[in-house]
Amino acid sequence: MSTLALPRTGSPALAVRLVANETRKGLQLLWRRRALTITFVVMHAITFLGFRLLIGGGHIVTPLLAATLPALLAFAVAQTAALQGSGGIAEEINGGTLGQTQLGPASPQLQVLGRLAALTAEGLGAAVLLGVVFILGYGVHYSYRPATLIPAVLTVADGLGYALLITAFTVRVVSIGAITHVFGMAIQFFGGVLVPVSVFPHAVETFTRFLPTTLGVQALNATLAGRSLWTGTLGWLVLHVGVSLALGATVYVRNIRRARREGGL
Amino acid sequence: MRTLTALGNEIHKGLLHAWSERLQIFIELPMFAVFILLLGPLLGQGQQIAAGHVRWSLDSGTTSVLVVWFVPFIFFYMQVVKTFWRLLGEIQTGTIEQVYLSPLPSWLVVAAGRVVAASIETLLVAGASYGIVRAFVPLHIAWTPAALLPAVLIMVSAVGVSLIIAGATLVWKRIQLVNDTVLMLVMLFSAAAIPLITVPGWWTTTSRAFPLTAGVANLYDTLFQHRSAFAAWGTGGLIWLLVTAAVYLAVGILAFRLGEHTAKRRGTLARY
Repeated sequence: MSTLALPRTGSPALAVRLVANETRKGLQLLWRRRALTITFVVMHAITFLGFRLLIGGGHIVTPLLAATLPALLAFAVAQTAALQGSGGIAEEINGGTLGQTQLGPASPQLQVLGRLAALTAEGLGAAVLLGVVFILGYGVHYSYRPATLIPAVLTVADGLGYALLITAFTVRVVSIGAITHVFGMAIQFFGGVLVPVSVFPHAVETFTRFLPTTLGVQALNATLAGRSLWTGTLGWLVLHVGVSLALGATVYVRNIRRARREGGL
Repeated sequence: MRTLTALGNEIHKGLLHAWSERLQIFIELPMFAVFILLLGPLLGQGQQIAAGHVRWSLDSGTTSVLVVWFVPFIFFYMQVVKTFWRLLGEIQTGTIEQVYLSPLPSWLVVAAGRVVAASIETLLVAGASYGIVRAFVPLHIAWTPAALLPAVLIMVSAVGVSLIIAGATLVWKRIQLVNDTVLMLVMLFSAAAIPLITVPGWWTTTSRAFPLTAGVANLYDTLFQHRSAFAAWGTGGLIWLLVTAAVYLAVGILAFRLGEHTAKRRGTLARY
């Protein structure tokens, strides 16, 4: 019997290659289902318009659209990543291919990093398209400054933390996908897509800050409105992003190890 | 007899699935109640919200109508989303092909087990949501057995929509984001059936083609306007309600058969 020594993952160059391979795989899958992705973007747009008409009593109130658009873009990133991340893992578990991925030299951490990069591209692609359509279509004016990039990046990272957590739970409970829709509804309702969170009663507003995108959207809205970034929610946002990414990664690695041990892959 | 046994087995399987998802249902419970409570003061208040002025008061009449609007939507959610995820799981594991060993038509196997489980789950979630909302604001709904008629026809429409989604799933597999939007559109357009917001004419006209609108309108007429559930005409009239339910079920069966045919021809019915 011959044995084949797997390359060690200690070298940074190999680690980068492994992550890049996972990302490339994710992007290839995304390209294969590009028609569906475009459909999703169109549907996000229709739903958002529906919300605006519902709240506006059958009319689009442009200042309200401008105040809620950043939340839609954050939601598009978080929900696309969560649903596609969860759906992808469920497909691999059900199809038996997740077990095969564990035979390679890449650790679960590196694999998930590669997957997240592809999910980020998918979510950001959807968000950019939506942003361009609504900003140009409704003549929305924001105060664009370099500082806006800070909450934008943090909001994306926060959304990815949420997606990672949902993906991690899917490893343990494959059928969890259905509840992601309810979480999605909650993020839309309480995360600022329906109405800005500042209009909620104080107790509800406090609760909304624990959701994946709320703090990021508040910081984003502040900078887009020309207010300073360094007051208010930035500190909490950084903490939220750190906790959600750390929690997501920890639960993912723990659940993969447990599934390996129990034969659940 | 063999058909009944097969049908009973599918229903049993559907209930076992529902039981295995009890934690999810428990998590869903408070969310629906909170949606109902918070949505009331926001509907049609766009200008005030943009100006930063929202009056957070719970109106008994508005909340009662919202409950009757939302409960059928909960059933739609339970039926459509969970049929999709269950079917997707069967496609991915390859067990979907076993459906063809059953004496029942494949569309009935996919829909039958789910519909009973979805009804029980809806009863539980709707009952709990009703209880939670009732704790905050008194609800005035004139319950009558006649409301069972629109309720059953809403279920028929929901089965039709879930079969359309199921047919699309057989062809395109991971279409979960489509579910989100379809459900949201069904909910948004059915708002035209209740007098909580003034919607433009095009919205009212378009909404009539959506599967939930006629049912919600009939429920509203029956439970709040004390009209007969058997009244023939109007948005919630029995004729339009029967037409939409029958059309959605027929289109659902056709879409499922079409999706099935396409997947069989491509050899992609199961993916493993």
